[in-house]
Amino acid sequence: MIAIRTNNLRKEYKDVVAVKGLNLEIMEGELFSLLGVNGAGKTTTIKMLATLSKPTSGEAYIYDYNVEDDQDKIKELIDISMQETAIARKLTVEENIEFYAKLSGQSDEEIKETKNYVYNAFELDKVAKKQASKLSGGWQRKLSIALALVTKPKILFLDEPTLGLDVIARRELWKTIRDLKDKMTIILTTHYMEEAEALSDRIGIMKDGELLFVGTKEELYAKTNKQNVEEAFINIVSGGDLDE
Amino acid sequence: MNKSISRIFTLTKRNLKEIIRDPLSLIFTILLPLFMEILFYLIFHEMTAQFEMKYLAPGIVVFSQSFLTLFTGLIISVDRNTSFLTRLYVSKTKSYEFIFGYILSVIPIALVQSVLFFLVGGIFDASIFGLGMVLAILLSLVSSLFFIGVGILFGSICNEKSIGGVSSIIITGQSVLSGMWFPTEGLNQGMITLMKVLPFKNATDLMQNMIVGIDDVFKDFLLPLIIVLAYSVVIIIIAILAFRSKMKEK
Repeated sequence: MIAIRTNNLRKEYKDVVAVKGLNLEIMEGELFSLLGVNGAGKTTTIKMLATLSKPTSGEAYIYDYNVEDDQDKIKELIDISMQETAIARKLTVEENIEFYAKLSGQSDEEIKETKNYVYNAFELDKVAKKQASKLSGGWQRKLSIALALVTKPKILFLDEPTLGLDVIARRELWKTIRDLKDKMTIILTTHYMEEAEALSDRIGIMKDGELLFVGTKEELYAKTNKQNVEEAFINIVSGGDLDE
Repeated sequence: MNKSISRIFTLTKRNLKEIIRDPLSLIFTILLPLFMEILFYLIFHEMTAQFEMKYLAPGIVVFSQSFLTLFTGLIISVDRNTSFLTRLYVSKTKSYEFIFGYILSVIPIALVQSVLFFLVGGIFDASIFGLGMVLAILLSLVSSLFFIGVGILFGSICNEKSIGGVSSIIITGQSVLSGMWFPTEGLNQGMITLMKVLPFKNATDLMQNMIVGIDDVFKDFLLPLIIVLAYSVVIIIIAILAFRSKMKEK
């Protein structure tokens, strides 16, 4: 089943075209990584799909719901973890989870279940009573991503989830993301090629608002004649000029 | 509708916790004005009528409210800049629910301020206790809406680094243009006119008149009330528009 479909999706700002006629299909249950250098249009694409930004033209569908016309329906199906750590800093970890759960209309019983679910997925029970501002950067990031699970979305957008994390914290998050893979469709943007390589079912490569490649790692290697995602990515984005 | 009220309540509770768990907000909204109320009364009340408790306590209430601009602005600008608000936009929460959540979370602080500063004032001068004090406490909510509205406006357009500087305009405005710290007699006509058309002195006069008594209902009560109310309504409308516009830009 197709979870996300875009048809000539385009986004223009004043004098910049951020996304140029994107055509993409992402299947339910897939972990799809969107790669690209800064300004490639990854975050803009995610924002349009998550109803945070209005497309200039073209269409995008989450299941059968149009991102412009059916925003309330879509909001029941998706959640997002932004590049920045987006948490209520003076609330404890537990209060953060309760806040998001209540805001999404969960009953007290459901909130209890949600807390257990999120604690298990991210081991946040260890720091449940700690104020978020007093957590280390890694734990804050974990909490920020965990909050996106509170609404139990069918589609989860992760925008640069491991940005700024040390190598151990990053690996721990990979493990968590892998565990989520079968439970929901995940769209991930990242600058870390090894992250895309380790986690993705399929990869999309964007440059200057255009989608240059979509396929599996194996298809990417075959197309570029390279043995890893980083070399293949450089080959595609530079047109082969930067190959070693 | 029930879901909307529940979301507003949830946002209000979170915002209130964020504000009161910041020690600086406690210092500036409660401790500093309280210290000034006691200190200025003890030092100056026998020298000048300006600092008799019936004038000082109402003035301190409005002065303390000017800090609400800073803390309302701060929470909104931090929420914006950390993408906390952007994340919430993915929920079904509407912009008016966010605005109510911010306003309602600051109202209890405004209420604590006015009750506390009047009660402390009453300890030094029991004559301020009475119906006038109750009315003054209720009317202080009108001026608090003005300061909260300015906070929402500043929080919607400024980042967290600039919010302190921008809010100091309002705090300074309340100090200089309210006439609470110095007598206005002898000031030039232009300054007096400015004080009359801005909300700061009107808010202070309204509170003070409730305590010392009203001679002319229109001049001492209705006129300052209408001016403060008008500023509060207009600033909240502008704040809502600014917030919504930022929400669209997300």
